[in-house]
Amino acid sequence: MIEVVKKLEEFEGEVVKKFQDTRRRINSIDIDVHWYRRAFHAFGASLLFYYMLPNLDWINLLKFWVPPAIVVTAVVIEILRIKGKVSSDHFFGLRMYEKDRIGSYVFFAVAIIVLLRFFPQPIAIPCILCACLSDPIMGEVRHRFRMKYVYIFGFLVCMLFFSVAWYKADVRLLLLASFVGAFGAVIGETKKFWWLDDDFMIQMLPAILLGIIWIALPYIGFGDPGNSLDIIYPGIWPW
Amino acid sequence: MNKEKMSYMKTEIKNYDKIVRAELLFTPLLIALPLIIGIFLIYDWYVRGFSENNAAFTGQLMLGVIILIGNIVFDIPFIKSLVKSIIVLSKSKK
Repeated sequence: MIEVVKKLEEFEGEVVKKFQDTRRRINSIDIDVHWYRRAFHAFGASLLFYYMLPNLDWINLLKFWVPPAIVVTAVVIEILRIKGKVSSDHFFGLRMYEKDRIGSYVFFAVAIIVLLRFFPQPIAIPCILCACLSDPIMGEVRHRFRMKYVYIFGFLVCMLFFSVAWYKADVRLLLLASFVGAFGAVIGETKKFWWLDDDFMIQMLPAILLGIIWIALPYIGFGDPGNSLDIIYPGIWPW
Repeated sequence: MNKEKMSYMKTEIKNYDKIVRAELLFTPLLIALPLIIGIFLIYDWYVRGFSENNAAFTGQLMLGVIILIGNIVFDIPFIKSLVKSIIVLSKSKK
């Protein structure tokens, strides 16, 4: 009887050890997921290359069709995942709230495409940079400090991006756009909804606010800027 | 949103190697492309802006620097954590 109890205790000890080892491994992967998401966000900034592509017929055709095709494919894959036809195990770095909802990366991509297609450069570029760089920076600040620092630091970083994108504008317009854009981006990032992702909001909210200002520019004495505020110029490549 | 919902979805241990493999496949693209774009923006500023004394390209320089620094800041911890995952995975297989 005593031997059986001893064996049971040994077995229990092994199970606990194995459980602890498994938990340690899961935790280590969690850290990895965290930085993977951060790196993925930062990677999005490379999509600004879109503006550097030369204005040639075949390239314009690709610029028109390839981005929506990628998004539609991602949406179809996400629908299959939600319906359970594709296992969530194949998707690296999803959060729990994305289990029964379209993943953040689709919202991220849709917002980027809308910005690239429908908004002028001074609006689209800083909004994309906010989602790609400000969002992970604010996330890291949130991890380490209190919430008020997220607002302050996020606001300053976003303001930097908007002021870089509007540096060709009149100083008053630069300040107005930087302030409104940064305000929209911080609100978009900090207000979280289950059904609408912050990766979408951080881009679209400042874009809509600045879009209104952009339309109002001729009426508030700044004139129609046209393409004069563009900061990336299409490449002149040999082909 | 509560902490539980913000946590990452767990993956079965048996799928670890699949996941790390997928990550490894993406890594060159995730790291190299933004750096190439950042360098290209700076190069374009140098060729068409700095060399020809054209201030219109200064924005490209600033964007290039932002993209480069922003990506390097997040790539370093990402690579570190990836290496850590590979070590954990290889130890668990022994």
